[in-house]
Amino acid sequence: MKYIVETENLMKHYEKGKIKAVNGLNLKIKEGEIYAFIGANGSGKSTTINMITGVLKPTSGHIKVMGYDMVKNRHKLSQYIGVAPQDYSVYTDLSVEENVMFFSRMYGVKGKIARERMKSILTILRLEERRKERVKNLSGGMKRRVSIACALIHNPKILLFDEATVGVDPVLRRDFWEYFRSLKENGQTLIITSHVMDEAERADRIGLIRAGVLIEEGTPAALKNKYNAQTIEDVFLTLSGDEAVDE
Amino acid sequence: MSEKLKSPGMFSVRRTFYVSTRVLRQFVRDRRTFGMMIMMPILIMLIFGFALSGEVTNVPIIVQNSDQGATVFGNSVNFGSKLTDSLGKDSRVSVTLGDYQAGITEIDNAKGYFASILIPKNFTNEILAKLNKQPVNITINLYIDKTKPAIRASILGAIGDAIKSLSGQSFINVDEIGAFGGASYSGLDVAVPSVMGLVLTFLVLLVSLLTAIREDLGGTKFRLLSTPLTAREKVIGYVAALTLFALVEAMLVLVFGVYLFGATVKGNIWLLVFSAFIYGMVNVFLAIFLSNFVENELQAVQMGPLIAFPSMALSGMLVPVESMPPVAQFFSQFIPMTYAINIFEGIMLKGFSFDKLVPQFQALGIFALIFLLFSFLSSRDTMK
Repeated sequence: MKYIVETENLMKHYEKGKIKAVNGLNLKIKEGEIYAFIGANGSGKSTTINMITGVLKPTSGHIKVMGYDMVKNRHKLSQYIGVAPQDYSVYTDLSVEENVMFFSRMYGVKGKIARERMKSILTILRLEERRKERVKNLSGGMKRRVSIACALIHNPKILLFDEATVGVDPVLRRDFWEYFRSLKENGQTLIITSHVMDEAERADRIGLIRAGVLIEEGTPAALKNKYNAQTIEDVFLTLSGDEAVDE
Repeated sequence: MSEKLKSPGMFSVRRTFYVSTRVLRQFVRDRRTFGMMIMMPILIMLIFGFALSGEVTNVPIIVQNSDQGATVFGNSVNFGSKLTDSLGKDSRVSVTLGDYQAGITEIDNAKGYFASILIPKNFTNEILAKLNKQPVNITINLYIDKTKPAIRASILGAIGDAIKSLSGQSFINVDEIGAFGGASYSGLDVAVPSVMGLVLTFLVLLVSLLTAIREDLGGTKFRLLSTPLTAREKVIGYVAALTLFALVEAMLVLVFGVYLFGATVKGNIWLLVFSAFIYGMVNVFLAIFLSNFVENELQAVQMGPLIAFPSMALSGMLVPVESMPPVAQFFSQFIPMTYAINIFEGIMLKGFSFDKLVPQFQALGIFALIFLLFSFLSSRDTMK
């Protein structure tokens, strides 16, 4: 089996080990799958995403992306990864179009290709009519879509959406997931983090993280079957007990 | 019947108190801000107090005593030597015996001298003749740098006291010739080079710093770090954009100073534009370096005065560097504004060309390279 992202005993500690944001995480994500990385706020999802994208250096352990060590090959691998961070992380005083074109240039996508790709992405994300508008004037859902457009512009092999559907209305969330499916069909791998458990039902596989450790992994059906649960949230609650997990 | 609504009160001391305590708590929690709040007034008062405590002393001057003296009742008398000795004992000036014309050349070439004095060869005889009520005109030639009023006042004071020491004689004239074309400058003329230095230090630094940290505050820093953009490319990108801003600032300062207020520019205006631009760049590089250590806008805004105030105190903007205590003079060498003001004054008031300002430009170049190097070294491709 070919894994596009692998982590081995991955750790990220702060304040001389007092805070263990990620604590021995072992992930194996297959090429072309939608992997939902589920956990409560503060469980280490975003830290993991930031290490996979090369933004954060692990305290110890290894990350392999497309078979290459991420820490040693960060610059080269960054071309194959698109990320939509938890906060929108776009330039709010630039227009939608200016943001997308700026990131296309960061990834080296040239003029005509970038413009054609931007048009297509903005149409799919229903931003085409607002493309000249400054991001600060857009609603939260639209800003989220701009962020996703910026992550897609270089047609990356791996897409990391950190809490991409947070604060998004149900209709838009459904549309997002339809779009995520189409990206998967296009051969792209999607890693989607969320603290909303029912989101995970739509993924191919789920990894449940708690206190920086992967506590369970499998397909939604297999997990529900294993724990005799109706929903993924029930699975999570079974695994966590009644202990509050929000750190 | 609906429930009667209670009023929360139009003014609550308790609510107000909680707002105050919350603000204070935030102050204390932001350790860097809190540290600056405590340290900045202490530091500024120390620097200003120290730099401004001195009087203008040891101003280098050249004296040529051509007085041949005279013999009176069998005793040889040389008032020129007495005058030179008096000047030598005055702490306001530091006398070097030399040639008057060579002294003029030294002053014109900014070699560190501020005045050249010629005591004429028949100085003693003329004084004796005057004492015998003969109508003679006794004149000492003084070639002096008038661009620094405090230094000029010190030299004239020392000369005046030395003349008085010659048995209280007050009939000796001083023929004062101003260096650099002999122009006398208004307060504005003298102030504009320093104000230019201050504006470029404060504004360029502050705006550049705020621009550089906006990336962090807007959350786009993480996203940019995940792209192929390298730290070096990012630094150069910022440098290019902000250097353009520095150029605009320099032009604005010059246009207002020169064309609106009519400040004197004896030298080449384009050399002045170039030097303002170079100094603006030094501040841009410094701002980009400092932006790595600033976490929020409040800290950035505090950084402006933290750099600008010591620069004002130690660069010679308020008092000439020459009048500062030796330790302050030592530290003034490490302030980029010291060299910028020297360059601006040189071009504007003395009409200097580039070749006379090479050491100052070299100093600014070294500062620019150091700050740029620090910017590269402190910018990283990943977060800790």
